[in-house]
Order: sequence, then structure tokens, then C-alpha cells
Amino acid sequence: MSTHDDSTLLPPAGPPATSPGGDDARGRGEGVGEAKEVEGLSQGQIVWGRFIRHKGAIFGLVILISVALLSFVSMGIGPIKGLWKHQDYTRSGTVVDGGRPTLQLPFLPGGGFAIGDHPFGQDSIGSDSFAQVMKGVQTSLLVMVVLGLTALVIGVTIGAIAGYYRGKVDTVLMRFTDLIITLPVLVLGAVLGRLLDVLPVKLDATAAQREAIRSNMPLLLAVVLGMILWTGLARLTRSEFLSLREREFVDSARVAGASDWRIITKHILPNAVGVIIVNVTLLMSVAVTLEAALSFLNFGIKKPNVSLGLLIAENQGAFATRPWLFWWPGLFIILIALSVNFIGDGLRDAFDPRTRKIPSERTMKRAAAKLEAARRPEEETK
Amino acid sequence: MVRFLARRLGMALGILALLSVIMYLLLDVAIDPLEELRTDPSPNRDQKIANRIALLDLDKPVWIRYLNWLGRFVQGDFGLAWRSMTPVNHLLTTAIPTSIQLVFASTVIAILLGVTIGVLSALRQYTPFDYAITFVAFLLYSLPIFWVAVLLKQFLAIGLNDYINDPSVNWALVVGLSLLSGLFWLGALGGTVKRRLITFALAFAATFGVLAYALGSGWVQHPRIGVVGVGAVAFATAFAVSALFAGLNNRRALGAAFTTAAFGVLAWFGCQWLFFYVPMNELRLLGLLVAAVLVSLLIGWLWGGPDRAVSMRGAAIVAVATSVMVFIDRVFQGWEQYSASGLIRGRPIATIGAATPGLNGDFWIAQLDKFTHLLLPTIALVMISFASYTRYQRGATLEVLNQDYIRTARAKGLPERLVIVRHALRNALMPLASIVPVDFVAMVGGAVVTETIFSWAGMGSLFVRSLLQGEVDPVMVYVMIVGGLAMVANLIADFLYAVIDPRIRVNA
Amino acid sequence: MSPEKTTAPVPPKGGPKLGMAEHASLDRFQRLSRTAGAEVKAGDVILEVRDLSVNFWVNDSWFTAAEHMNYDLKAGEVLAIVGESGSGKTQSSMSLIGLLPKNGRATGSAKLKGVELVGLSQAEMREIRGNEISVIFQEPMTALNPVYTVGFQIVETLRTHFLMNPSDAKARAVELMRLVEIPDPEDSFNKFPHQLSGGQRQRIMIAQALACDPKLLIADEPTTALDVTVQAEILKLMRELRTRVNAGIILITHSMGVVADMADRIIVMKDGKVVEQGTAADIFYRPQHPYTKALLEAVPHLGETKIEDGRTDALVKVDEQPLPLEPAKDPSVVPALLLENVDITYPKQGRRPAFRAAHAINLRIEPGEVVGLVGESGSGKTTIGRAAVALLPVSAGRITVCGFDITHATHRDLKPFRKTVGMVFQDPGSSLNPRLPVGESIGEPLLLHEGLRGAELSRRVEDLLDSVELPRSMRNRYPHELSGGQKQRIGVARALALNPKLLVADEPTSALDVSVQARVLKLFSDLQERYGFACLFISHDLAVVEMVSSKIAVMTHGELVEVGATSDIVTYPQHPYTQRLLSAVPVPDPDQQKLRRELRDAIIEREHLVS
Repeated sequence: MSTHDDSTLLPPAGPPATSPGGDDARGRGEGVGEAKEVEGLSQGQIVWGRFIRHKGAIFGLVILISVALLSFVSMGIGPIKGLWKHQDYTRSGTVVDGGRPTLQLPFLPGGGFAIGDHPFGQDSIGSDSFAQVMKGVQTSLLVMVVLGLTALVIGVTIGAIAGYYRGKVDTVLMRFTDLIITLPVLVLGAVLGRLLDVLPVKLDATAAQREAIRSNMPLLLAVVLGMILWTGLARLTRSEFLSLREREFVDSARVAGASDWRIITKHILPNAVGVIIVNVTLLMSVAVTLEAALSFLNFGIKKPNVSLGLLIAENQGAFATRPWLFWWPGLFIILIALSVNFIGDGLRDAFDPRTRKIPSERTMKRAAAKLEAARRPEEETK
Repeated sequence: MVRFLARRLGMALGILALLSVIMYLLLDVAIDPLEELRTDPSPNRDQKIANRIALLDLDKPVWIRYLNWLGRFVQGDFGLAWRSMTPVNHLLTTAIPTSIQLVFASTVIAILLGVTIGVLSALRQYTPFDYAITFVAFLLYSLPIFWVAVLLKQFLAIGLNDYINDPSVNWALVVGLSLLSGLFWLGALGGTVKRRLITFALAFAATFGVLAYALGSGWVQHPRIGVVGVGAVAFATAFAVSALFAGLNNRRALGAAFTTAAFGVLAWFGCQWLFFYVPMNELRLLGLLVAAVLVSLLIGWLWGGPDRAVSMRGAAIVAVATSVMVFIDRVFQGWEQYSASGLIRGRPIATIGAATPGLNGDFWIAQLDKFTHLLLPTIALVMISFASYTRYQRGATLEVLNQDYIRTARAKGLPERLVIVRHALRNALMPLASIVPVDFVAMVGGAVVTETIFSWAGMGSLFVRSLLQGEVDPVMVYVMIVGGLAMVANLIADFLYAVIDPRIRVNA
Repeated sequence: MSPEKTTAPVPPKGGPKLGMAEHASLDRFQRLSRTAGAEVKAGDVILEVRDLSVNFWVNDSWFTAAEHMNYDLKAGEVLAIVGESGSGKTQSSMSLIGLLPKNGRATGSAKLKGVELVGLSQAEMREIRGNEISVIFQEPMTALNPVYTVGFQIVETLRTHFLMNPSDAKARAVELMRLVEIPDPEDSFNKFPHQLSGGQRQRIMIAQALACDPKLLIADEPTTALDVTVQAEILKLMRELRTRVNAGIILITHSMGVVADMADRIIVMKDGKVVEQGTAADIFYRPQHPYTKALLEAVPHLGETKIEDGRTDALVKVDEQPLPLEPAKDPSVVPALLLENVDITYPKQGRRPAFRAAHAINLRIEPGEVVGLVGESGSGKTTIGRAAVALLPVSAGRITVCGFDITHATHRDLKPFRKTVGMVFQDPGSSLNPRLPVGESIGEPLLLHEGLRGAELSRRVEDLLDSVELPRSMRNRYPHELSGGQKQRIGVARALALNPKLLVADEPTSALDVSVQARVLKLFSDLQERYGFACLFISHDLAVVEMVSSKIAVMTHGELVEVGATSDIVTYPQHPYTQRLLSAVPVPDPDQQKLRRELRDAIIEREHLVS
């Protein structure tokens, strides 16, 4: 997406223009209140305003940012070292206290607060579980974002072309989409994950190439998975385009002589952006669990890379002896996916023009009392 | 209609054919049968490689191999799992029923639960109940299925088995569950403050009583339903069905439902005798069910009155519910024998496999065994799918509730019950037709994980194993079967859509 | 499938035909809902409304939708509540049956035969709804449940309030359907809403509303969604029914013509306040309040361009021959728009078969001339308009715009052509890109064709805003911040940006309130005079077309049936369809409308039309 979309989403807030000259009073309309609410605001401001009032979404946003900060601050990013003392998450060490976690929180049994040397405990060879989980979080976030972007580009392109041009192009593209959704994402993902694994061997890649592929495995996997997860987005973009292209402003642009490219990018896409953003968000939450499941099944990310799903797979056998190795990665998967889901829900409500806050019964009762109070003096003065 | 179906069928076959080509080509790259031989240090490595190439025709171009595969496939020969040199057909005879049972049971339960909760959630929009359901749905969305499965194994199965062997009631848990139940019904039924308090109290008391009885009386160790349980469920269903679909002031419908329930209780005695003397199988049970439905329809018809169909429909629903209870009751009668069996050793909730190997027992014991094995994987799968159905149905219901015809229905003076059940629900179910096939495919994907974790010898685990071991044929069969199932799901959805929506069924 | 329906047996053949007299037959059945007060006789006051207000709780404060309404309604009387959108006319009436949105609240008093309606609990209200007060809604398409047969939906109403068995209920439903003149009611009983036409669906709504012999009937814009000829038939039906049922009718409408046709008493509302109320004669002939006067003045009045000589030059379609092209007055002048034997076909899409929307159209528009194209929905008038600006391909014939043949022109060829045409669209809410500031929308044609940017573009945009009488500051606003009228002005400015030779205006005012419509039409005429563009003015509203155009073309079922000078068409319609169309338009003048109505009813009777 170009910068253009951002500008339409959040245009500079100008001073509200003065009332128009003499024509048509506004703030009426049967949909009472809508006009009042939007006066002097751009679409982007309205969406943002609704979004920040959505408690769940803000909650999700805060959690997601905290998790991301925690993982990047502790384990660094790329070449930049983090602040956590165990930067090498694969290094073995002495197992202290059976590898039990040293994290103490007031509400956990034991009470008090302490971080200790290995807050999430150690595995059987003494590696620090906190470092592993944080690194795994980074992988999940990377996969989530890259997968989302890949699916976004493919899905929107295919959906836009199919929806805008209709006819044969549409039929071909939609049959292709049908073909892909015939198989579960997990099954296709497993085949492709396996393919990434085998390909270097089959191509007789050099050791350096193999190393490069291995270290970039999360990235590659994300791109490959993005190539199968775009279908829902494509269908959605298509239906959005199908309905938007019938709107009169598209005809109006065509009469004005706008090219197809201009109509698609300047007129239709900005109007479909809400639906697209919401669904990319929800796709991202799917991405987190999908990557974890594939890694769990041994089709995804492999050592020496680390991912939350891989950690769970490695440690599921140790549940009886070292349950913390199992709990923490699962908890972080849920935290990430859940917060992304809530953000998506907030965006959906924010972009949906029909969402209007319906007051609860209690609010209405209180409001009714206010109305009575306001009427009484009025009657007395009569 | 026939032409439409034929066209859809043709299209489905075309897509399947294309799918087979693409997947074969992909698998040709993704599968490396020589993988472990490449690093084999043994001196006859080259010989081994040559043998394997000969075995798998790897020297031939891929399209020749595809055509060979296709030729065999259409003749019903699904190839060879070469690592174990087993014909794929042989593997499938056990794998297919196992997987299909799992996926279908989960889909049906998820739809029923998800749709009900979704509608309730929409009716209580923006209440704490709605928010709670939304939160639970998002939580379930975010749960990694494999993680849940491990937890289920660890806590539910092992915990339950431990409890059965060493019963000690965890009262905090009982009270907690009762509270939860109270809150759920309070939120779901709504109403005035007074009504809500009553609902809460009733639900709490009922849950607490049932749990306390079950745990305290040793019911969990020796579960049985008996004629009392069957009767209770039958009459409760009769009451609920009448209240929801006919209205309690329709005396005839109420009478028909209760007569059917009473008849069901009588039939229970007959069935005990029947089950004792006549060995059962699925077909005979189905026959009994049909008989029960026919009898109930007759009862409904005899009660008659102007709304004969309403009475008949209600009676039939009661009959089905009662029959299911009679069946479950008989299955549980085998519990002692099953639990005490040397292979079970008092730990009946299974965590592994689809059936206890080598278990000897009659039809009823086999059913029980199947049930204990299905329990955990089904819960895991339902949890995942339930969330999406709930959210979807909530959205669809809200959409419908905003329609003009709902306002018309209210303006006619219809009771709210009819506005919802008759006017909103049916329209709100229509969009479901488009999501069921998609979700079904997702469910098949989920089954891959579940089967692996619970070590089911199903198609999903066959797929995973074969893909990792470099066997093309089983993977291809899996792909074709899953693709075929997806097509069937789509066709069924189209059909249902046409049944519900007269705009498609009846041409203008 | 609903079993209720399947159990309904075939009605007794040859049974007594129930007329209105036997309507009392409902007495045979036990009531399930209580009645409000005693039986009514004509002239009884059935509804007393005192100080009724409706408020909405929006963004933490009360918004007043209607306030201090006082009126009485007698049985057999039609009370019209008139107002433009947002005047609170609908909500004030919905409050009578407790169908306000969740955040709405009514205060004051409304008594139906002594039973207080305001503050009634939902359970008590349920016994009133459909039983004592029933409603006819605006959109017959969406107001009936698509998955049940129309017969079932009427039966359902009956059986909610009366203890009836299905066969009795069906018999009465069929009788009601006969009463509202549904053709072949026994057969139609089992039809689904989508199988009926819009007019028939509205008849079903009326039958359903009458099912329980209500004391009060609320008709909320009952004819707004219908074509004018269908509207005429529904109005005729309602007029006949009002004399036969002893109910009071509240008619909510924005159309002064409909009011003049039906109302005994009138309440005029504006912004939630009653500005004037009185008898129909008071309001139409002796309006007191300035708003009422302005409103009446703003309504276009059909038949103002009368000619007296009785001679007409109009071309009239005879038999199956398509209407030929008018001979050119001056052959040397290149026409602004020339359609020669134009066929337009929508291609087959999926299972939907190909559809010929326009057939053998011949039409000429001279430079600077305004031609009105009139027709009802589905007549193909919009199709013609879109083809004239090359938005639709032509399947046969030839379209020439200012001498440029656009019939087979490619996308690239059309570029210069685009400069010569402009188009104004029907729905001001949809014709502007919601994501672009309106200034950018206006400037787009300039940017694309003249490559204008920066200060130059900005100056031109401001000029255009001036010319449509909007403040220049408005260029930075987004469409949703503007009112309907303002948006339509922006639409006009954009269409005129390149100073086109031909303007196609597709129902430019049909979505606007009358007072706004009057101002936009005035602006349009001024601009046309100033810029001298030719115009194809498409509308379903003959009165509007009469105001702006010098020539009128009448279209139905994809064919032109009559083309001629405005005065000819309006005064001496030749083709039966034109006659029917003209007679169907209600005029805002009760006395005149009475005469017109008689003519109209005669035509409807003559042609045995049931839409």
C-alpha cells in the first residue's frame, strides 16, 4: 500500500469549516446522531476515535506491544544485543534446582516477587527457558507480520483484479482460489514446509547456501504460508470490489476519464481498506497458531531456530517432570493471538459504519430519569 | 435442480483432477525418498539408491509417474506405502472410518453448540453475557490445538481416571462449576433483576445438586442412567420443545410431546428385553430409531387438532432425544464390565488410539470403547471450531434482527419467542451454508494435529507419517479424499441452502 | 417448510363469498388479545394524543426527535403527517406501538379508545399491535419475510390474536387478499414474496394490516418505494378501503401529492416540531406558517405548461413499430446527442439470462436543448443515459455525441470524448468518493484532461464551487460531512468542470427533499442558461421534467412510446401509457386532484390493471 492510503485514513485535522451558506440544514436525518457524531471529522479520525474507545482493542494493543517490547528488549534484535543475561538460548548450563522457574509473582503460590536467574526455568541440559521463549516470540511476531504482508499483497491483487474485471478473468481466478481452499491450510502448509526442507538437498546447495536458508527459515516459511493463506482475503476483496464498482462514484470517475488503474487504486481500494485491514489482522492471529502447529508437527521451523510451537513439541514429553517448559510457550502463543484477535475486533467495529453504541438498560434508565427531571420544570413554568 | 447438481459435480471433478496434478508435482519436489540414503555411510549405498530408484520409478519423468499413478488411482488401486510395503488400500480400511467418525462428530457438535450460543449471544448483545462469550470465543480462536490436546490428556483424562480410582470430592471445583452454570443461565435467559436472580439460584442449585449427587454417590465410578434418567430427559425435552416451538398454550402439542415421552419410558422396558436377547448392530439400531420416530409421528397425528404438523414435529424431536437416551443408557450398562476389563484396568478415559486393541466384547462394549476414545479428540476439535461458529452465527443473527421483516413481525404483535424462532432464526441460518464447508475443511486440518497427538491411526496421522517418510502414494490418496470430502461438503451446503431459501428453490 | 402451512386444507369450494359486511365474521372467533375499548362507530374519536414527545439517547444526551404533539383522530378519518426527512414524523408514530429503537423513549400521552399507549409494557403492547393498531411499512420488498409464503404471514397475524384453526384463518386470509385485489388469491396464498411484484407485495402488507380489523392503521410512506402508476393503484385501493373499514388512518408521507389525494386532516412537521395542523383545505389553500407555504411552493406542479389549441406534434408509437427519429429542424446543426436504432443488451451473467434493456431507440438532442426522459423503474431510461456517456456498450445501432461516434470507440478513443460530456448521478450519497475531499472530486476531471495542478487547479475548483453557490471552504470537506443537497451541488460542479457540451442527469433530485429539490432544480436551470449545454434529463417524476425540459420522451419496457414538446405531452398525451402515467401523478391540490383522481380511476378500471 502506498502512502496515499495513510493520508486518506488520517488526513490532517483542519479546523471545522464554518456552516455552509444558507443551504440545507443538517444534523437532521432519521439516523439521529450520526450527523452530529461525524461533523468536522475525517473518516480516519472517526475510525480512530471509535477504535480507541473499544476497550478490548486497546487492551489487546497494550498486551501485544508489551510482549513485543519484552522480547526485543531482552533478546535484542538482529545484531543488537538484548539486556537479558542469557543471550545464547541454545547454550547448555548447570541445571539449578531441577530447572524449576525462579520467577516469583505475588499471586502465584510462594508469593513475593523475584525474577531470578531462570525465571521460566531450564530444560534438561540447562538452557534458559526464558531466552528460548523470548526468541520464540520474536519468531512468531516475524512470521505473523511477514505472512500477513504476503497474503495481503497476493490476496488483494487477485481479489481486486477478479472483482474489478469480472467475467472470464474472475472465473479463472476464483476457480484457482477454490482449488487452494479445497485442502486444509495445515495440509498444504505441511507439504510446503517439507518442500522448504528438502529443496536445498535436491538442488545440491552449497553449505553456505544451506546455512543461509536455515537461518532465514522463519522468513521463508512465512512467505510460503502467506502464499496459501491469501484465499479468504482474495474472496473478500473481490466481493468488496464487486459491490464498490457498482457505486456511482466509480461511474463518475469513469465518465471523468479515469483509467482502470486510477479507479482501482484511487477510488475503490481506499474504500475497501477497512475490510482488508480487519481481515489481515485476523489472518495474523491465524498465522501465529498455524506456524506453531506446523513446527509442532515437524514441518515448520527446526533447530537451531526456535519457535513457540517447536518448544512445545520438544517439551510435551516432559510435561510430568518439567511442566513450565510447556506452559510458558503456550501462554505466549495465546497472548499474541488473543491480543491480535481483539485488535481485529476493535478495527472491525471501528470501520463498520453501522456499529452504533446501543446504551445498556441501566444507562437508559438513568437517562430516562434525567429526561423526566428536565420535563418537570418545563411543565411548571407553563 | 438436477442440471445444477450435475454441473456442480462436473466442476468438482475438474477441480479434483487439477488438484491431483498440482499436488503430485509439488510432492515430487517436497518428498525425497532418498533422503536417508544420501548420508548413508554403508559401502553399498549406491546399490541401495539404485534399488530404490528402480522401486519407485524415480528414473522416469514425473509426468509418466503421475499418469501411472492416475491410471491406478481411477481403477481403485491407491498405490503402495513403500517403507512398510503395505498397499495403501489396506491402510485406508481402518484409517478412513476412524477419521470420519472423529471429524463428523466434532462438526455436528460444534455446529449445534456454536449456533445456539451464537444466537443467544446476539440476542443479549452488549450484555456481560455477550462480552463473556466473545472473550471465550477469542480465547478458543487463539488456543493452539496441540497445546489444548496435551492439556486435555494431562488433566481431564488422567485426572478423571485418577478420580475414578481414588474418589475424593473437590468441593471448590463443584461450587465453582455451579457458580459458572448459574452465571451462564442468568446471562443467557436475561429478564428483570428478579427473574435473573431466580434463574441464577435455580441453575446453581441444579448444577450443584447434580454434581454433588454424581460425585458423592459414586455415580462417576459406576455411571448409569436407568429408567429415571431416561424419563427425566424425555419429559424435560418434551417441555422444552413445546415451549420453544409450539408455545405452552398449544395444549395439543404439549400433550403429544408428553405422550411421546411417556411412551419412550415404556419403550425403555421393552428395549431392555430386546437388547438382552437380540444382538445389535448399527443397522438394527437405526431401524429402532426410525420406528420410534414413526410412532411419535402417529402420536402427534392422533393428538391432531388444527396444528397437526406442529404436534408431530414436536413429538418426533422428543422421540429422537428419548431414543438417544435409551441407547446411551444401554451403553453405560456395560461400564462395569468394560472398566474392570484387564485391558482397561480401571482407567476408562483413553488418551491414545481410536480403540482398545484386543478388547473382546459385544456391540455395546465396543460402542463404549469407541466413546471413551472419541471423547478427548472430539473435545479438542470442537473447542477450535465452536469459536468460529459462535462468532459467525452471532453476526448473522444481528444482521437479521435489523431487517425490516423482523420489525413487521413485531408490529403484527407476535410474541418475541416466535419473532426469534420463526422469523429470525431461519433467515440467520442461511449464511451458515457458506461457512460449513470451509470450516469442515479446517476441521480436517485440525484432525491432522489431533490424530497425531492422540496417536489415532487415522488419515491425518497417515498423512503426516507418509509425508515425513517420503511416501507419495498415501499422501496423494489423503489429498484426494480430503478434496473429495470438501466437494461433498460444498454440494451438501448448496443443497441445504436451496432447501432453506425459497428464492433459490422456487423460481419467480 | 413450515408445517402450519402444510396442514392448511384446501378452502371450501363454492363457499359464501365474504364481502365487507361479513367482516364481522371475526366475532365467531375467541380473541386471544384483549381489545382496547368498545367497538368504534364512524366519527368516534379513537386516538387522543397529548403532548407526545420522542427522544433519543445519543452520545450521552437526549436528542429530541419530536415534541409536544397534540391531535385527535376519528374513525374513518385520514390524518396525514407531512414533513421532510428528519422531521420526526415516523418516530412519533412508531412510539404509538412501542416500536422505537432501543435508545428511544416516548413521553406524554396517547390514548387509543381510552387505553394509554405510552408506557405500556411490551407484553401489553403486543396485544395491541397487529390487533388494534397495525402498520403498513414503506419497503414491501424487505418488510415481508422472504422465507415464508405471503399467505402464511397473513394467517400468522390472525392466529396470533384469534383462536382460529388454520382452515378458517386461510379462508379469511384469502378473503383479505381478494379484498386488496390480489389476482387469483387462492393461488397467490402459497407464493413467496419474491414471486410477487412490488405493488402486489404492498397489497399483501395492507391485507395483513387489515387482518384483525384494527382500530388504527399507520401507513408509513406506503407508496414511496413504488412507481407512480402503481402508487396510483395503491392509493385508489386505500381510498376504497377507508370507506369500508371503521379505522382511523395515520398517513406518514413526504409527498404533498399523496396528501392531497388522501388526507382529511394534515399535520406539518419540521425538525420535530408541529408547525401547522388543520384540515386539508386549510393547509393547501390557507397555509399560515411560512414553512408550509415554502413547502407547498417548492413542490413541482404538473400541468403548468398548458397549451390550449389542442394540436400536438408529438411522435407517438403505434402498434409494434419503433418510434422513428424526429426530423431535424436544421440539418446543418450537429446534434449534441443522436441515438439511431439503439439496442442495449445486458449480457448473460451466470444463470441470469441476457436481458434487452432498450430496443430501437431513436432520439435527438440539439445543442443547448434539455430533453426529459421519463419512465418508471425498469423502463430502461437509466440504461440510455449510461450508454450516452459510453458507460455501457451498445449492441446495435449508433450513438453520436457532438458528431463523435462512440458506438465502437475503444477506451483510448474515448479520452477526447470524455471532455464533451458530464454526468450527474442519482444518489448524492454514492456518487462522491467517500474517501476523497470533495475538492479533489471536483478537480479530478481537470487533473485528468487538462493536467491542471496546484494553484491553477485550486482556482478552477473554487470557481466551480462559486458557480454552484457553495462556500469555497467546503472543498476540504469529506462527502459525509455534507447534506444531500450540498452533495448534489458538488456532483453538478464536477460534471460541469470541463464545460461539457452534453450533460446527462440521471434522476438528479429524486433522493432529495422537495425544498432542497426546488433549490437544486433552480440552480440547474440557471447553470443551463449560463453555460448552454445540452442535457438529457432522466427522471421518473413528470412534474420535475416538466419544469426543466423543453422536450419530453416517454419510455416504457425498453422502448420509447412518445416524444414531443413538453407542453404537448403534458396537455395532450396520446399514447395510452403516457396518459396513464400523467393521470397517476398526484398534484398538490385537493380539488384538482379530485378531478384527476376520477380520470385516473377510470383509466385503471378501463385497463383492469393490477400491478
